[in-house]
Amino acid sequence: MRSYLIRRLPSALLVLLAASFLIFTILRLVPGDPATTLAGPDADAATVAAIRDRLGLDAPLLSQYAHWIGSLLTGDLGPSYAIGGQTADLIGDGLGATTELTVAALLFVVLLGTAFGVLGATSRSRWIRTAVRVTTTTALAVPPFVSGVLLVLLFAVILGVLPPGGRVPFLTAPDLAVQYLVLPALCLALPSAAVLGRYLKDGIERGLAEDYIRTATAAGVAPRRLLWRHALPNALPPVVTLLGMQVGHLLGGAVLVEAIFAWPGLGQLAEQGLQRRDYPVVQDLLLLLVAVFVLVQLLTDLVYAWLDPRIRWE
Amino acid sequence: MTSTTDLLAAGPPPAASKARGRVRGRHPYRSALSTARARTGLVLVGAVVLAGLLAPLLAGHGPTDQSGQSLAALGTPGHPLGTDDLGRDLLSRVLYGIRADLGIIAIAVPLGAVLGCLFALVAAAHPVADTVVQRVFDLLLAFPGLILALAVTAILGPGRVPVVLVIALAEIPAFGRLLRGGILVQREREYVTAARVGGSSGRRVLVRHILPNAADPLIVQIAVSLTVAVFIEGAMSFLGVGVRPPEPTLGAVLSQSMPYLAQAPNFAAGPLVTVTALVLGLSLIAEALNREIRR
Repeated sequence: MRSYLIRRLPSALLVLLAASFLIFTILRLVPGDPATTLAGPDADAATVAAIRDRLGLDAPLLSQYAHWIGSLLTGDLGPSYAIGGQTADLIGDGLGATTELTVAALLFVVLLGTAFGVLGATSRSRWIRTAVRVTTTTALAVPPFVSGVLLVLLFAVILGVLPPGGRVPFLTAPDLAVQYLVLPALCLALPSAAVLGRYLKDGIERGLAEDYIRTATAAGVAPRRLLWRHALPNALPPVVTLLGMQVGHLLGGAVLVEAIFAWPGLGQLAEQGLQRRDYPVVQDLLLLLVAVFVLVQLLTDLVYAWLDPRIRWE
Repeated sequence: MTSTTDLLAAGPPPAASKARGRVRGRHPYRSALSTARARTGLVLVGAVVLAGLLAPLLAGHGPTDQSGQSLAALGTPGHPLGTDDLGRDLLSRVLYGIRADLGIIAIAVPLGAVLGCLFALVAAAHPVADTVVQRVFDLLLAFPGLILALAVTAILGPGRVPVVLVIALAEIPAFGRLLRGGILVQREREYVTAARVGGSSGRRVLVRHILPNAADPLIVQIAVSLTVAVFIEGAMSFLGVGVRPPEPTLGAVLSQSMPYLAQAPNFAAGPLVTVTALVLGLSLIAEALNREIRR
């Protein structure tokens, strides 16, 4: 496993490096100068020049890039340009909120996905199987902004049991936090849960058709044990890869869901940062997202090999 | 403007079915599209597309005309779906919103598809080109699509062009990867060797033999991409980087309705129903086509 990691790491770092370069370049292509934005519409040229000087914007681009990478390596991200406060604090807060949302969504994905998969593959009732199929097809097709509006309509407006948007940090008031968390997490989770459910259903159906299941049935193993101990575990490896890919989707989708539910996460921060040309915040944040994405892919491969002993970390 | 249904019903060039030697007399896509699933999809998509095309005839008002009454309820005389917060007729806004979405999608999806396929063809030409193209796709896929949307809009300013561009950028790797995979598979087939032995040039083999056969999954991808396009347009409206107001799109009308959900749920009803019908219809068609291809 160690040798596998050692071989995978350089390429992961290379992707990060390429991404950092791309992020830096794209950000400098954005019209509008942070100093002008920061100084306000009425500022005179001298003020703008002073701000440019303070932020180091007059330095050659390459040295600005080197400065940025240096700040990442030392861990001292410096102050934000426009939003206010330290970049690290802003990103930390956003990351906390987005992680909360993504983890909760992942929980929904696993729970709902397993339910869809197991019910769809093994339920004796045709109605339940049809209901699962219709639900997964719809959940997969409908964009989050439609399901989001529907969820708010149903749970916040009609039933009035959950708040329509906003966030209470989990550590401040857990019970209240959960109420605020349910709808955005569910909205984010639905498409991925449907994908997972479909794969799991196919996997379980294939697994239950295997010869060893027939043998085990003949030997008197209970159907429930067949499902949970044999068919389901064997359907897991491809599902884990899928789940890894879905984590990427969840992070990407979080940007939209945060906008729908006024959830103060990384997506909202990116939006604000781009609008106000806050270079440090935006570039650190984007690189963080790419890094998480790369890390998740790496972990996925490792877990995959762990679940399926036939694959070696070669 | 080619409607979605025409695009999907047209099917692949005849070479595809001939080369596969289908026994059934009917065209494979036609049989896929005559399943109950696909028919439901075609009806849903057809209805939405038709409503969008006929918007000027069906809408009683201009999409940006303001009447005196804001947030009118369903069934108000003259405003069957009611009015929005600025007193604009919701039926008209939804109909013209469909029209705007169709206009964006009709440019963006073909653009992404063509660019993606060109990338794939370049990749097929040389191993080095293949590596480069693959990395380009990886990079496009590694950025969360909506962050890309924010960045593109920050560079270009809001409007139609960035929406079209973001959709096309999202479609490029999808089409490119599919076609590249298809070409790789087909290239090993015996008929390709036969054509080469028969004296066809490399380019002719690629264009006349491999391409028509590798194009099958692309048909499904078109249906999927149309759904993705509706998704991206709406998402960008919600992020506030979509088409510039006051022009209506389905996503814009829906996102404008969010603050008034409790007060006037009918504000959201039109776009909700329309978007759902459109994406559900497209998914059903894609699924039916996919099943046919995998048989």
